[in-house]
Amino acid sequence: MGRYVTRRVLQAVGTLLLVMFLLHLLTTVAIQLNGNPAQAFFGDKVASPAQLAAVEQRFGLDDPCFDRVGDPCLGPFAERLGQYARGDFGTNLRGREVSDIVAAAAPNTLRLFCVVLITWLTLGMVLGSVAARRRGSAGDHGIRLTSVLIDAFPVFVLLIVYRYVVAVPLHRWAEETFGEDSWPPYWFKPSFDPDHPWATVVVPGILLGLAGSAAFIRLVRAGQLESYQGDHVRTARSKGLAERHVVVHHVVRNSSVPVVTAVGLTFAEALGGAVITEGLMNIYGMGGVLWEAVRNDDVGLVLGIVTLLAAVTVVVMIVVDVAYAVLDPRIRYE
Amino acid sequence: MSEEARPLAGAWRALRRRPDTVAAATVVLFFALMAAFPALFTSTSPRSCPIRDARLDPQGWGAAHPLGTDALGCDVLATLVHGVRPSLLLAAVVVGVSVMIGVTLGLLAGYYLGWVDYLVSRAVEVFLVVPLLLAALLVLSLFQGVDLGAGTFQVILLPAVVLILFGWMPYARYVRASTLEAKNLDYVTAARSLGASDVRIMVRHVLPNAIGTVTALLPTSVAGVISAEAVLSFLGIGVRPPATSWGIQIEQGSEWVTGGAPHILLAPLVCLVATVLALVVLGDALRDALDPRLAR
Amino acid sequence: MRVRKAGGTGPEGTGRAAAERDGRTASSRAPLLEVRDLAVEFRTAEGTVRAVDGLSYRVDAGRTLAVVGESGSGKSVSSLAVMGLLPDGARVSRGQVLLAGEDLLTLSRREHRDRCGDRVAMVFQDALAALNPVHTVGYQLTEALRARRGLSRRDAARRAVELLDLVRVPNARGRVKDHPHQFSGGMRQRVMIAIALAMDPDVLIADEPTTALDVTVQAQVLRLLAEIQAERRMGLVLITHDLGVVAGVADDVTVMYAGRVVERAPVRDTFRAPAHPYTRALLRSIPSAASGGPQGADARRPRLSVIPGRPPSPAALPAGCAFHPRCDLAGDLCRSERPPLTTALTTQPHDDASSYPRASACHFAAEVLASHDVPAAASGRPRPTGRRDARETEEPTDA
Repeated sequence: MGRYVTRRVLQAVGTLLLVMFLLHLLTTVAIQLNGNPAQAFFGDKVASPAQLAAVEQRFGLDDPCFDRVGDPCLGPFAERLGQYARGDFGTNLRGREVSDIVAAAAPNTLRLFCVVLITWLTLGMVLGSVAARRRGSAGDHGIRLTSVLIDAFPVFVLLIVYRYVVAVPLHRWAEETFGEDSWPPYWFKPSFDPDHPWATVVVPGILLGLAGSAAFIRLVRAGQLESYQGDHVRTARSKGLAERHVVVHHVVRNSSVPVVTAVGLTFAEALGGAVITEGLMNIYGMGGVLWEAVRNDDVGLVLGIVTLLAAVTVVVMIVVDVAYAVLDPRIRYE
Repeated sequence: MSEEARPLAGAWRALRRRPDTVAAATVVLFFALMAAFPALFTSTSPRSCPIRDARLDPQGWGAAHPLGTDALGCDVLATLVHGVRPSLLLAAVVVGVSVMIGVTLGLLAGYYLGWVDYLVSRAVEVFLVVPLLLAALLVLSLFQGVDLGAGTFQVILLPAVVLILFGWMPYARYVRASTLEAKNLDYVTAARSLGASDVRIMVRHVLPNAIGTVTALLPTSVAGVISAEAVLSFLGIGVRPPATSWGIQIEQGSEWVTGGAPHILLAPLVCLVATVLALVVLGDALRDALDPRLAR
Repeated sequence: MRVRKAGGTGPEGTGRAAAERDGRTASSRAPLLEVRDLAVEFRTAEGTVRAVDGLSYRVDAGRTLAVVGESGSGKSVSSLAVMGLLPDGARVSRGQVLLAGEDLLTLSRREHRDRCGDRVAMVFQDALAALNPVHTVGYQLTEALRARRGLSRRDAARRAVELLDLVRVPNARGRVKDHPHQFSGGMRQRVMIAIALAMDPDVLIADEPTTALDVTVQAQVLRLLAEIQAERRMGLVLITHDLGVVAGVADDVTVMYAGRVVERAPVRDTFRAPAHPYTRALLRSIPSAASGGPQGADARRPRLSVIPGRPPSPAALPAGCAFHPRCDLAGDLCRSERPPLTTALTTQPHDDASSYPRASACHFAAEVLASHDVPAAASGRPRPTGRRDARETEEPTDA
């Protein structure tokens, strides 16, 4: 087991290096084709060549390779890796350290993901279990219809409708009903409030979680159906165990294996969703920062954040793999 | 060939019997028709935007502006109709090319294993680590300044390349898995021992086994690309002006919901949801028809 | 082959045990497990299908009953009904399952399973599927003890090792932490048996316990079952499609065809002289009996034969006797009228105090019986088929 984890981690480090190289190549080609990103620093103002050169130097773009189309620019890549290794992830256009920005933004993203994860698991487990339990009943069909409808409303649409159509009247209603200082108005606030990070993150989190939950509902249903029909469940029942015990230890436990894998796969998708959610709801999180950076053409910041989020994804995937190996002893550690 | 034809034919029969899939297919065809022949649906140009007509309410069918006008005075229906083509074209191109890449790589990896498999698997892993939308945000903002022209294809070229680049992996994974499965089936072993060439075995015996899973993924993938495009356009880095798309319309309309002109947002939103819903329903039905394991 | 192994290994043990048991059970007590007139129905798209119709049997302490039939004959479904484990869509439509006199079918499903968990245990056919792949063998061995009897973790661990020792899994202490997929097929089936024994049941129902195993392993597992059964004086219901298995282990046999009992008898009677054409055909299709052996030169020796046709679908049973389309004796009567299970067949002079009266559901039962009796009595030679092994196991008992 220990060796398995070690090997998995080493492999992940390799993957991450490849990812960074890929991102580097994309950036390089873009700069080579696109002209100088330092221009973005000045927005619409016209900068003098000396000013440009200063900015170029500050962002590590002064290497001549950036002027040669097709040059992979390995020198600047090695340099950037060195900086990353020292914990230096560069600065945004205004000179603020990316690591500072991340330190301030990450907690809000974590909050959001807590809500998302809870939404996934409760919706998936509850609806999926009920559907599997009452297969073929009206409830099963209703749950199935729900999961199709969930799929049909992308996060983007859900959030637009919520933010622009539903939130304002709901917020007003909550204020009138519960008073301005109570909790409910904060839940329905159409934008993030740093003084109430949890309350204002709940609804966006639920919406984002809702969007990913259809896959969980389907998986839990299919997994539990397979378990219910499995011979091992019959064996457990033949021991005279209480049905509750059988469901927990033999049905839910066995169907948890695919669910855990799904958490890993859906996570990457949810990160994308988090960008939309945080951007639209003005949540000051990693996604929100990225959203703003894209709008401001702050390529350095976009690159830094995407790299970091890729690293996070790699870590999540390792955790999922290890959890998978723990949950299903049939997986060989190879 | 018969192995390939049978499950698909069976699926086709099963699909035709379900009213929901027929309705969904009708919706998809309707929008496809709109993309192909916008002139059938509107004679107004989306580019004639007299500012004095801004934010007119919907006037009903037959009037000058059946769905009203937007904040700049452009006809909402015309924008809507002309916005379908880039979205659908993008979706078709992205899914088509991704499937080709994914199926080829997955087939090769699963069939030859060894270093081919190693390379493909590593590539899948690398591209999976960067979430599609993040990659799109990064690359599209990087290449924002590159001018590619304003033709139908040029407008969607960049988003298409990015979405393909970061979207082929699921197909490769599925196809690799089912290739591994099919490779050891008796008839494949038999074909090999009879001296059939690798290419022949792959195309005639292994591929048909994988085609069902991939087909079941298609509608949902198309829906995914359409909504991804909407997000990118909303951010201003998807389809480029002067071309329009639903995402751009949604972006513009979102400002006016509380400003007395909700139709500017609702019209494209309803179209988007209708299309995605229809595709998801189709995908769900296909999954049932082609993957009996889940259909129980 | 498999029969010779099974029979050959167990003649003394089972034979002696059988003799003792016969003595014991002669003192009449309420049977341990009795099934009366059981009928099970399945709801299907085509309507209700009767999978079991009028099954009755009884098992006493220390005796082994074999329920024999082809797949689809209802033998497995009936044992699931006994255990209260019928799948969705199936229900018991008639009958009683008496466990020491108490009708389990009148209890709630929960109480039913509770009762069975305590006193009736089941060994399933495919141990790989029947064991939970994600739990250790030790956990599964003592799961019921811990959940229902409140055993401590340490006691449970000790008990798990004991149980594995009991079924002779080598290095039991080291293996309790292993998962089912780490065991070989035979060892896995032993684990399955150990799990069944964990609650110290009075009755063990073994549903095709050896079908999934290699021939040599089959014999070992069967022997183990027989020994444990004899040691603990359990009642054993052995469900199998293989009459060859029956010969070595069982005391009594109930043959099922298309959901109904067609013959019921002490094993030795059945093997000496089956009273139903179906049983006779089954005996003739046992391979080991027809190959080689001293009677190989016998011109009258029936060849290894196959029963023509296939078992009928429970959804479309033929009118009259369900076996008539495949039966060489079938007459007009068989096509129109279903033969009842009649018990007036005690023609065997040696029939001892067996509590298992012979019965056959055939219009021509007497003729079938007579066809064996004459040559059997005349030549003293083993009868048509399956004979060699049956004789080996039975002779010590007879003597």
